[in-house]
Formats: sequence, structure tokens, C-alpha cells
Amino acid sequence: MKFIDRIRPYTSSRYYVWVIRILVSIGVVWAYIWSLQGLKVDPKLIRTSLPYMADFLSRLWPPDLSILDVAIKALIETVQMSLWGTTIGAILSIPLALLSARNLSPLWLRWLASFLQNAVRSVPSIILGLFFVTATGLGAPAGTLALGIYTIGYLAKFYQEAIESVDKRSLESLQVSRASWWQIAQYGVLPQVLPLCLGYTIYMFEYNIRAASVLGVVGAGGIGFELVSYIRGFEYNKAMTMMLVLLVVVTGIDALSSQLRNKFKSD
Amino acid sequence: MQTLIEKNLPAIACQNVFTDYQSTLKRPILNGIDFQINHGEFVALLGLNGAGKSTLLRSLVGLVPIKQGEIQICGTTIEPNHLGEVRRNVGFLFQGGGLIDQLSCLDNVLCGCLGELNTWQSLWGFPKRDRRIAMKLLQKLGLQEQIYQKAKQLSGGQRQRVAIARTLIQSPHILLADEPTSGLDVSGINQVMNNLQEMHRQGLTVVVVLHDLALASQYAQRAIVLEEGQVCYDGDCQNIERQFAKLKNLSQFQSASAA
Repeated sequence: MKFIDRIRPYTSSRYYVWVIRILVSIGVVWAYIWSLQGLKVDPKLIRTSLPYMADFLSRLWPPDLSILDVAIKALIETVQMSLWGTTIGAILSIPLALLSARNLSPLWLRWLASFLQNAVRSVPSIILGLFFVTATGLGAPAGTLALGIYTIGYLAKFYQEAIESVDKRSLESLQVSRASWWQIAQYGVLPQVLPLCLGYTIYMFEYNIRAASVLGVVGAGGIGFELVSYIRGFEYNKAMTMMLVLLVVVTGIDALSSQLRNKFKSD
Repeated sequence: MQTLIEKNLPAIACQNVFTDYQSTLKRPILNGIDFQINHGEFVALLGLNGAGKSTLLRSLVGLVPIKQGEIQICGTTIEPNHLGEVRRNVGFLFQGGGLIDQLSCLDNVLCGCLGELNTWQSLWGFPKRDRRIAMKLLQKLGLQEQIYQKAKQLSGGQRQRVAIARTLIQSPHILLADEPTSGLDVSGINQVMNNLQEMHRQGLTVVVVLHDLALASQYAQRAIVLEEGQVCYDGDCQNIERQFAKLKNLSQFQSASAA
């Protein structure tokens, strides 16, 4: 009798699991169909526009290397913007992450902090760029500030997750050893959080180089400004040079940063 | 230590200890605990999963707040403003060691000294004297080759021994160990239990949560068996198998699996 009592709830819960799985699958398929309808894709248009796309691409070649110096100068500015933007954002992210971490803050503060995070994250970088252009004028300072704020939206979340993944028992063991608040932070939390956070920050630096190229479009400095003005002036070969230089740098920094991130991970 | 024994105060005294009501269990985890442990005893804390063994151990160092009753460690009552005093006398071994994975073994052991150093003294590392003591302890526990290795790279048994060194550096009077042998292989279990026995021989009061009854009767002098948050057996280790068979949930579980 006892044996049967133990079996029954198991089978009925299994039945519910299947119903839920089927409902979820239907929901996912529906979401895709609904999204496709919203896009109003016209297959005929894609077919007729193929020659235009080919024409656009063919005019990019060959790259005009005479503006290589301009490209490199713009690119250096982009990297400089990214470095400072990421750093500003990282510093501002720390308090926000502390306030939104589940193992540190009370619920109401977490709610407030994560609302702030979401608010920052939902502002597109271009809007931030426009905003700071009105504040500091055209050029790299506006882009740097925009990147700084944009970075908060992501790094605060990443840092928060790193803090939440700290092993609770290891901190309790320090507590039992009568370590002070600062000592627990220094010897317990920091060693566990730092490698993760550094990895995320380097990734963000790399990401911001790409984000900075978009910011140039609204005049907030960096390689994007030149890139867009060449495209607008139909100087496609020069634009190609710009993109190639960007490709080289992004690839190089990606290789470097993934190596660094691996090193932090193994530490 | 001497004065504490002369005063004839028990090492650990629990009087009618209750924790908060747990709605999932329909009772508090600790549901009226009463016992005394004298200096120099080696006690095994036994019971099924969920009986409250770990919670009891954690409440003895103030990691779990109690709702009712009183816990005294070497005569000091556990209260928020006496925690430092209580913890000075107690070393705690966590399940799995509770080490900081990213620090070296040496630094992990040195973390045991943090209570004796203020924030400024430990800001730029640890005093040479403490480092020397920590190294000696690690050597004594057979970890001389792992001194500078990250705790992450250690095996389960090595981790637990680093944790033992960390509690030893505090030179506590009482050692509480929460399932120090879980997840270890036979040689690891023996090594850790022998270390505990050695500490007991040197005069420490040892309370260890165990799952293995054979291990308990091999090492401990006294067993305390918990059931549903209460002490259901307290005595020597001679016939704990028989005492254990009396547990309500165990007999239910056995009859269910037999059917």
C-alpha cells in the first residue's frame, strides 16, 4: 500500500510536465510565426534587389589605401574612447552591482537597483551619444561619456552575477574566524569575484570598440564619423579601408582579450 | 583553558534550544535540544538527513539564530554581542572545507588568523610569524608540496586538511566538524578522522557530524542521535546501530523499500 502511495504522485506530476512542455513548444512556434508576420518579408523584393546588393559590394573594392593614415588616426581615437568609457562604466557599475546582489542587499534596494540597471540598458547607445553631444559638443568626449553610461547597463549585471556566485560557506568560515567586514571583503569576496569581473571588463572593452564605431555616426567621435561620411559621399573604396582597419584591430584585440580572459579563468 | 576546566564549566551546554518555525517541515528545525558536552570529549552527532545535525552545529557558533533556549560555550552565552568571544574558543570545519578556491593553501590557512589581526594589520598580507606557523601546520598535515597551490586544485581530502590547518592556527578549545568526511575516499576519510583524533588527544573537545555509524563507533566515545530536531539518544557508541534502528523515519523507510 505504501509503495503505491509513493508511486501515484510521481506519475501525475509526470503528466503535468508533458502538458507544460507541449504548451511551451506551441508558444515558441507561435512567437516565431507572429514575428515573421510583423516583419512583412517580401521574398520577391529580395530576389530583384540582389543585383543592387552585388553592385554595392563590388564598389567597395579595391580599398583606397591613400587614407590609411586617417583611418589609423580615427581608430586610435576609437580605442582611446573605449578604454576610458569602459573604465568609467566599470567604476560606476561596482556600487550598482553591490546594491543589486541577492546575497548582499535587502529586497527593496535590489528592486530599485535592478530597475536602474534596466533603465540604463534600455537606452540605445546612439541616443546616449546624441545626449552627450548636446552636452559637450561634437567629438570624442561625448562618445566616451556615452560609452561609460552604456557600459553600466551590462557590467553592473555581470558584476552582480559574479558577486552572487561567491561560495557562501567560504565566507561563513571567515566569519567564524572572527574576520572583520573589510577582511571578509578582502580575503573572501575579492579573490572570488576579481577574475570573473576582469574577464567581463576586458570583454566589454572589446565590445565598446565596436560600439564606438556606431557612435561616430551621430558625431560623437571615433571611426564611425569618417566611415559614414565616406559612405554618404559615395567614396566606397575609402569606406572599405576604414572597415578593413577596424577588422584588423577588432580581430587583434579579440585574440588578446580571449587569451587574458582564459588566464583569469584558470586563476 | 586550565581555568575553564577548573571552573568546571561544560564546553558546550544547550538548554531547551528551539529555532524558528519552518513551514515546510511543520516544526522548527531544532525542536527542544538539551545536552551538555564536557571538555575533552569526542562526540559524534548522528541522525538522518533533515534531523537538524548541521543546523545544531551551526547554531553553536551563532551562524543560525535560535528562537528560544540558551547555548553556552565555555560558560559564555551565545548572543550577538558575545559572538566574538564564543568564536575565539571554537574552530569550525565546514562540509567540503569552506575554502576560498582562488587563494593558495597558505593564504587559506592564514585566513584563520584574521580574528587576531585588525583590518590594518592584514591589509598588506600577513605577519611573518603567522606565515611560519601556517607553513609548519601544513607540513605537519602532509601538505608541504601544496603550500603555494591554489585551493581549487586540491583533492577533497587535501581541502579538508587545509581546513583543519586553518582551524588549528586559531588554537581553539573546541572543534566542530560538519560532515568532514563526505565525498572523500577511504584513505581520505581515515586521514581526516585520524587528524581529528590527534587533536582530541591534545586536549580538544571534538564534535563531529557523521553519517557513517561504523566510523562513529571507531573514533567517538559518545554519540548523540538527533531525530526531528530532538535528541533521541545520548550515550556511548557501543550500541548505536540498535539505537539507530529505532528511529521512526528509518523504520518507515525500510518497510517502504522492502515492499
